[in-house]
Amino acid sequence: MYLTKEEERVYDGEYGWARQVCMKILVKLGDLFGADRLIPIDSAHISGVSYKTMGDVATEFIEAIAADANGKAAVDATINPQSFDAEYLAKKLPRELMDAQLRITRCFERMGVKLSYTCTPYYIESPHMGAHLAWAESSAVVYANSILNAWTNREGGPSALAAAIIGKTPNYGMHKAENRNPSLIVELEQPLREDVEYGALGILLGKILRDRIPLIKGVEDAPKDMLKQLGAALASTGMTNMFHYRVNQRVETLEKIMVENNDVKKTVEELNTANSKKPDLIFIGCPHCSITEIKQVATYLDGKKIANNLEVWVCTSPFIKRKTEYYVHKIEQSGAKVLAGTCAIVTWTDKLGIETIMTNSAKTAHYAPTLNKAKVILASLKECLKTAITA
Amino acid sequence: MGFELRGRGIVEGKCVAEALVSSMPISFLGDVDQKTGLVIAKTHDLYGKLLKGKVLCFPHGHGSTVGSYVLYSLAKSGLAPKAIVNERADPVIVVGAVMANIPMVDGVDITRIRTGDIVEVDAYRGVVKVIR
Repeated sequence: MYLTKEEERVYDGEYGWARQVCMKILVKLGDLFGADRLIPIDSAHISGVSYKTMGDVATEFIEAIAADANGKAAVDATINPQSFDAEYLAKKLPRELMDAQLRITRCFERMGVKLSYTCTPYYIESPHMGAHLAWAESSAVVYANSILNAWTNREGGPSALAAAIIGKTPNYGMHKAENRNPSLIVELEQPLREDVEYGALGILLGKILRDRIPLIKGVEDAPKDMLKQLGAALASTGMTNMFHYRVNQRVETLEKIMVENNDVKKTVEELNTANSKKPDLIFIGCPHCSITEIKQVATYLDGKKIANNLEVWVCTSPFIKRKTEYYVHKIEQSGAKVLAGTCAIVTWTDKLGIETIMTNSAKTAHYAPTLNKAKVILASLKECLKTAITA
Repeated sequence: MGFELRGRGIVEGKCVAEALVSSMPISFLGDVDQKTGLVIAKTHDLYGKLLKGKVLCFPHGHGSTVGSYVLYSLAKSGLAPKAIVNERADPVIVVGAVMANIPMVDGVDITRIRTGDIVEVDAYRGVVKVIR
């Protein structure tokens, strides 16, 4: 890969250890995947923020970068959710876990990144069409490429951090137009009806596709929130960075696969691991809720009370929570909590005695058995909310 | 006796160890317990297996982008595989292996390797030698 004189100096360590390590990560990726050079990026989105998923060793790496005077973000950068919110979970979790989380968040503060604490940074500022990005957080990567037509590879947490500090990313993969075309067509036997079916389709396709880009027919008019579910699930089981859903290109010669309704149903069933129908927690907001989703939840819960001994969490970014105060109030009047900047997956639900999680997110259903040691009930948003008030 | 599989060296290094082969992709976050190096996903074909000291062969990475940090943490705690062999490298695994300095090769037909085989990984040359 070609490096400018200035980039070479960074590589040789003239600007300190942090920038050198970051440059080495980018050059390694670039060399390996056939990049010709580094290209400037509009923004970076960094994963690896929750202490629960990071642990002490990775925290020390972040601390070392942040301790270096040159370990500062060179472009706009946002970060993923952290392991608690200040209003609710901070009061329920042990002090030492909070302290450990604060070690990480202080690092990002020092680096000058925006403390966005969300997996949906595109609701804060939507990237321009055709913009080059270096985003980690696999669900955001798929959303950016597929729905916003902004261009990013699926960065690992450290390579997104490296790109934030260098302000560039190697020019390969999704940054090249020729790699963004669909290579097969997915047809649906029956139209998808609700959020869990979109998620299940994602889980199913991720396993089949590996890194191939599909054109999915029959979801052209789906709400963006449904496509968000599809993409998040797709990224959980696959390494696919993108799907197409608008049928405006000549693709008739491509290989086709048909997804039968039964396959979707079976996938939903497989993700349901709970024996009991009684959840300890109902979790909405994976990925973090949009304004529309907050409104939907508020409209349903308005004037109602959630059942006793049940936790109901609606998770979103601090930004969206501030913007939807009126609706947040309605949700919280019911006894449900709107948690900002965290989610069930990145916090310690097991330490709160939560054994069964009900959710409308296939991504959560995929991760919760291992990351939360929880059993899962996967059901539509409507079903989740209905259970919230009658459980 | 044995045979050689040729691929591409990704992270330099050389080692000989027992192979642990999976036909399924791995997400180091979620599938693997960071504190023990044990595969904890019940749906995974390596469920209950320890990665430590093995030549870990799997098709490719998938899922969470935090996987790079998990791999790095495993290595720092002495729980990482000795080498990684993929059919196709993805950025999340590559970055983890680079940071952790775990020899890594991709472009190898891993279906020719069986769990328990003694394999020699030469990631300088991108060669995996199966000794039977």
